[in-house]
Amino acid sequence: MKSVRRSLVFVLILALAFVSTAKADNHQSQSLTIVWAEWDPANYLQELSKDFTAETGIAVDVIQIPWPNFQDKVFTAFVGKSDLYDIVIGDSQWLGRNSQGQNYINLTDWINENIDVDSIYGPAMTAFAEYPKGSGTYWALPAEVDAAGYVYRKDLFEDPNEMTAFQEKYGYALAPPKTYAQLRDIAEFFTRPDKDLYGIATWYSKEYDGITMGFQQVMWSFGGAYGDADTHKVAGHINTEDSVKALEFYTDLLQFSPPDAPNYYWTETLGAYNAGKVAMAMNYFAFFPGVLNPESNEISHDKSGFFIAPAGPKGHYISIGGQGMSISSYSKNKALAKQYMKWFMQKPVQEKWAALGGFTPHKEVLQSDIFKTATPFNEAFAASFPYLRDFWAVPEYAELLEVCQTNWSEAISKIKSAKEALDAIARKHEEIFEDAGYYDE
Amino acid sequence: MLTNHPHQTSRGMSDYQLKMAFIMPTMILLILMNIFPLLWSLYLSFHRYKASMPAAPRFIGVRNYSRLLADPEIWGYFQTTAYFVILAVAAQFFIGFGLALLLNRDFRYKGFVTTLLLLPMMLSPVVVGLFWRFILSSDNAGLLNFFLSPFLNSPIGWTTHPKVAMLAVVIVDTWMWSPFMMLIALAGLSAVPKFLYEAADVDRASAWFKFRWITLPLVSPLLLIALLFRTMDAFKMFDIVYVLTREGGPGTATETVSMNLYKLAFRNYNTGKACAMAYILLIIIVALSNIYVKYLNRVKGEEAQET
Amino acid sequence: MRHRKNFVHYLILALIAVAVLVYITPIYWILATSLKTLSDITTKLPKFVFDISLENYQKLMPSEGVPGVTYLFLGEVVVGLLLFGFFSLFNVRLPRALSLRNLGFIWNSLFILTCLYSFLTLPPLRSRLQTDARFNFLLLIVCTIIAYLLIVPWRKTGGLTSQTAKKQRLTLVLPSVFGTIAICVALANGGSKYFYQLLNSIIIGGGSTILAVGLGTLAAYAFSRFDIAGKDDLLFFILSTRMLPPVVVVIPIYLMYSALGLRDTHFGLILLYTTFNVSFAVWLMKGFIDEIPKEYEDAALVDGYSRFQTFLKVILPQSVTGIAATAVFCLITAWNEFAFALVLTEVGGRAVTAPPSITSATGSTGMDWGKIAAGTFVFLLPVAVFTFLMRSHLLRGVTFGAVKK
Repeated sequence: MKSVRRSLVFVLILALAFVSTAKADNHQSQSLTIVWAEWDPANYLQELSKDFTAETGIAVDVIQIPWPNFQDKVFTAFVGKSDLYDIVIGDSQWLGRNSQGQNYINLTDWINENIDVDSIYGPAMTAFAEYPKGSGTYWALPAEVDAAGYVYRKDLFEDPNEMTAFQEKYGYALAPPKTYAQLRDIAEFFTRPDKDLYGIATWYSKEYDGITMGFQQVMWSFGGAYGDADTHKVAGHINTEDSVKALEFYTDLLQFSPPDAPNYYWTETLGAYNAGKVAMAMNYFAFFPGVLNPESNEISHDKSGFFIAPAGPKGHYISIGGQGMSISSYSKNKALAKQYMKWFMQKPVQEKWAALGGFTPHKEVLQSDIFKTATPFNEAFAASFPYLRDFWAVPEYAELLEVCQTNWSEAISKIKSAKEALDAIARKHEEIFEDAGYYDE
Repeated sequence: MLTNHPHQTSRGMSDYQLKMAFIMPTMILLILMNIFPLLWSLYLSFHRYKASMPAAPRFIGVRNYSRLLADPEIWGYFQTTAYFVILAVAAQFFIGFGLALLLNRDFRYKGFVTTLLLLPMMLSPVVVGLFWRFILSSDNAGLLNFFLSPFLNSPIGWTTHPKVAMLAVVIVDTWMWSPFMMLIALAGLSAVPKFLYEAADVDRASAWFKFRWITLPLVSPLLLIALLFRTMDAFKMFDIVYVLTREGGPGTATETVSMNLYKLAFRNYNTGKACAMAYILLIIIVALSNIYVKYLNRVKGEEAQET
Repeated sequence: MRHRKNFVHYLILALIAVAVLVYITPIYWILATSLKTLSDITTKLPKFVFDISLENYQKLMPSEGVPGVTYLFLGEVVVGLLLFGFFSLFNVRLPRALSLRNLGFIWNSLFILTCLYSFLTLPPLRSRLQTDARFNFLLLIVCTIIAYLLIVPWRKTGGLTSQTAKKQRLTLVLPSVFGTIAICVALANGGSKYFYQLLNSIIIGGGSTILAVGLGTLAAYAFSRFDIAGKDDLLFFILSTRMLPPVVVVIPIYLMYSALGLRDTHFGLILLYTTFNVSFAVWLMKGFIDEIPKEYEDAALVDGYSRFQTFLKVILPQSVTGIAATAVFCLITAWNEFAFALVLTEVGGRAVTAPPSITSATGSTGMDWGKIAAGTFVFLLPVAVFTFLMRSHLLRGVTFGAVKK
């Protein structure tokens, strides 16, 4: 009896082992995997891709990675040579690193043969596809063009009592700010902690690129710069009097922000705005569908206006957002991926992309009235274009970004003074450039 | 050792074979998964190497080490870590031991109450860190600030104020891990023979006397082991600062060595330098644990002599 | 004197109550948040009275609707646990036709039939990442039968000894254990990412726990009973592997796994977590086996058992408590591990476990605390139930051999 049971168990375990090894990967059906960050545009792309599946029978799966881990996860997958992702929709700064690291395939020839480059908005092509800039070598096609912008509470800004009170206090009319000085006044004006209302929510978080994307546009507009693009010298560019003033200004804004503001990244700024805590909020335009949705924003979904990032004393610059579509070198479906990208760039598809809420890089669609009126924020978005600027796009950008994040976060939490933080960035950035051999003759 | 039976070999394995068969799988696993990677990272720590770039490792001697050791910021991270380890482990020790003393008696639903108290340590640290963000919030529905509001004028910026953030991390870690300390202390306490206390009662010994001369000596070896495991784990703590204080913020207020190492290795892909830093950390932990284990053996030895 | 004693006793009970409150409040808050609607979560002050809503749990479910078999399995899980609890608490006399043994058999057969039914009715999923759910149900059936055969006492014993009664009770929980897996399989097949990851967590956590406890027990026995050259050094070496901060070994292991193609595989993670836990398991189990008197073994050896048989028949049954306690700790560690899972799996990959992705509940509306709370709570349940079932072993099992009897 006992041996019967023992042999029975043995046979079953053998069967188990056999079955688990013998299972065949029986998915002959073709499929593409696209990886992007976790946000609404990725949902739009999944929706859009249904048409592609209908046309070709190729299933498309858009995988979304949360923003704070986005870069880390994609890069660990690359270094691990994972073939899971076919198309990577990656940040513009990644181009240098992924082209030099041979993670993206070179698309120059294919694009020149298959895609009408002139139909694509020029600056987008440069920002999201070309590396090194001006070389005519392409590693991607622009997928989503984006810019930082502001949402504001129309009901507060257009309230007659508020308007007179503001006029009396500051001597000019209450309206969406054109300069950072006005932005500060308005933020100060609406800060009423006893009523749980604050002036502004903007990015201060230490995660991924939070504070850098929020602050760099202020720094540029105040006259600061990351460094010299040709010599890669940093000292004397980033730690100037102008940058110090900008950083002090940005730190100063904290007092008109909700208490948790030093941790604010895109989701927290949206959350604060949707909860009716702030009069203005900075975010990338692609996140703004969340403030128009009555389900997520009960308070002000129909009372929101949008304006472009203000100008500073020495210029007008805005952080660029958005991503380009690249093909992973480790993908096993490169031909399918190209087929998909060619399909994606067609004008009718781009029109649908824009209608769904995607920020199309297609020139004609982008400049059409249909696009400008598609959402309440598209007009402000389109107006931001001439002012867009980017972070370093060199292969070492992640290290440079990490230094900025840490030091600026220290500055706003007053662990370091603005000057100390900027000096530290200059020193560390030059160290990184030196290690990478940029200063070798 | 047991004496060998003459016919033992004919029946199954010999003692030697059995010993090898029992130990070898574990040792092979540990060597494959620990020693081999460690040797590899030792090799890489003397090279300039970025795993994200196709270039092969280039030998640069001890430059990774010398640069790390000369960097005051790295020492800052070590200080932060030490500060955290001391505060958190001390808090967990006293609270955990205190709870165990409270629970070490018979009452109804004891098993149920103990399991309830163990719940925090069953959660994933990363989830704990994330959810405590919500509990510690000073914006929305922050539970802790709400309970403290009668005593405070304005809410505390638990995760935003550089001076308080470390305290917040310690509170969360203590909430999570003092149950572990409690469990092990409780196991020790419940194993203390009752007759010792009864004998002391006959002598009309004070409660303090009983605690100092009966309870403590018998439980201390176990407490030391619990301390050892908690110290090692606290040194490695990464998850909570990664999510609760957003990668060691505000500024660098809670940036522990593990956090910085993660960035060095998986954001910057400074693989060589990260390996060097990992080695510095490893040496510190092994040295500390060695002291612990020596002390533990001495305590056990003393006790063996006493009994 | 007596009054004073009572007073102290109640004071201590009150203190315990306070401690429980402090420790439970955050967990209660997770549960409460998971049952709130969005507008109740984002109030300025915490809201303690609210309308219960299940919308956050619905977010974890497949968007195309919950497959019907899920409810069947859920029912079996709950009833199984209730049956087990009932028969453990109360000593009920059952009629001969419905003895515990027969009840266990019927209950398990019912579960296997449900699996068969799901196997026949569930549609195959067209995803390149998941294996066919029908295949998973076959596996479940085989596993249940194996586990049942291993547990149930085969020969009819005369009286109900406590040992056999215990084993027969254990068969009642089998469908609960495998039913939990079946729920995850069914929901993952329906398209729920969360349950797919939960399934991975179960496979990886369970697999590594079994391996770590098994290997650890074997090694602990050898360390406890045999002369081994350099025993103390070896033991310190084993302990020292636990001292390595994960981030220290993660770099070379990441490179090694990448080269071997072990990244984002179940096997790779199981191996890794086993390595993590085995040192802890050896230390705990050695402490425990040290305390089992050698005389038992001697007696068995004299009776003609071989060493190995002695280990199986004498040591193993004696160390159930230690094994249970060790298993609880190993499961908790593997279940909750984050750093390696973050680096060694891909988002949307094959072997991604739940911890790295519960944190990814950011919607377009700000942090979705409700969804995070719901995900956390469901994730906590299996471990909490397991620990609760093992609670009586926990206290006696964690002595590390450091308590002198």
